[in-house]
Amino acid sequence: MSYTTVGIVDYGIGNHTSVMHSFRDLGFRVRISAGIKVLSSTDILVLPGVGAFPSAMHALHQRDLVGYLQEQAREQRPIIGICLGMQLLASASHEHHFTTGLNLIPGEVMPLTHSKWHIGWNTVECIQEDPLLQASDGESFYFNHSFSYQGPAEYQVCISRHPEPLTSVIRRGSVVGVQFHPEKSQATGRTLLKNLVEGLVHA
Amino acid sequence: MLKKRVVGVVTIKNGWAVQSFGYRQYLPLGKPEHLVENLDRWGADEILVQVIDRSANNLGPDFELLERLGGLGLETPLIYAGGIRSESDGVKLIQLGADRIVIDSLLHDDLSSVRQLSARLGAQALIASMPLSWQDGAIEWLNYRQRSASLISPEIMNIIESGVISEVLVTDWMHEGKSGGFDQNIVSQFPLQNVPLIAFGGLNATEQMAILLQQSNVSAIAVGNFLSYKEHAIQKFKELLADMPLRLAVYESKWSLLADV
Repeated sequence: MSYTTVGIVDYGIGNHTSVMHSFRDLGFRVRISAGIKVLSSTDILVLPGVGAFPSAMHALHQRDLVGYLQEQAREQRPIIGICLGMQLLASASHEHHFTTGLNLIPGEVMPLTHSKWHIGWNTVECIQEDPLLQASDGESFYFNHSFSYQGPAEYQVCISRHPEPLTSVIRRGSVVGVQFHPEKSQATGRTLLKNLVEGLVHA
Repeated sequence: MLKKRVVGVVTIKNGWAVQSFGYRQYLPLGKPEHLVENLDRWGADEILVQVIDRSANNLGPDFELLERLGGLGLETPLIYAGGIRSESDGVKLIQLGADRIVIDSLLHDDLSSVRQLSARLGAQALIASMPLSWQDGAIEWLNYRQRSASLISPEIMNIIESGVISEVLVTDWMHEGKSGGFDQNIVSQFPLQNVPLIAFGGLNATEQMAILLQQSNVSAIAVGNFLSYKEHAIQKFKELLADMPLRLAVYESKWSLLADV
């Protein structure tokens, strides 16, 4: 019997335990590491994150993970970014000051325009057809952020309204970012994570 | 659209979950983990764990409790309150599994640490806790360590208004634990009407919850004692509040009761 192994990128920012539990409850094996050898032995990489963009990028640079993640994306390795992890996939962020990101998905992270932050459960609307996300269209997920992705429409798969539309899911090939916390979104989050991992790994 | 939330509150004293009445009397309920697990299973929108003896006794946050809760694999956002003294305390709590943290004594003791926490974690992770009462036509803020009340200072108003913290947990401490007790004046007369409030203390009547949820400055209501009397209480409240902008009541568990055959 073969298991899908999820590699959680541990760059010292935020809590990985909840993310780990979510994947384990779904029946996946999980490795948490900052080591390239360990991460390379997994089927899919997950980039979680809580906090500010500049310190997260600094932590990734300190652990020599920036080049590695960029190389993995070029090789079509599945990668999922969660919350701050999604923002790190972008080209740059304006949080505190301008900071370049992983640049796996073109676009920039900007302050929310119509409110200071976006906290709580909100509905996700798919604006592109994507089989991995179809089951999550119209479902509610838990958001907790004050910056959001802005970029080319081709990479924006789902939006949420607060009250103006903000990007809630981005995708470029095998790289997917979700602005909300699926690991803290109960049944809807579980379904989304399962569909994303299985869909990306078996694509 | 963004929904308003029903927050399940677990109050902890001396390591035990307790029912709290007016910040004075406490009845033990059991192990905190069990209550938190229930709220997670019952689909609370957020869970607030408030450890009420940490700041008063200068014990710092209850990191061991957070570690135990982190081990439960909660699927509900977790808010921690109690004993946060510094930026490093807050960061450690987030690393241990809290999604958001509540600052209380730090508002009295060290506002520079509040600003540092906000810069490090983002304002969305910070909630200010303010035990309030409506007295003689004015809102008074209780310093629960000194048992004295005063008007909210301009300095505190400024830090709230500037966006250093994202929401204020306004607790009607006098009516806490009393059925239908929450004084609406605490919300309607709160001096900063553009700041999102989480209303807590004496909330068990759905009519009262509905009035609060219709207030534009209320982002959430929090319920503690009154969730302890029946299974799925949080969803039963939601069913009765079906016309409010809340996430729908859900009854489900990640643990299937049927064996795979």
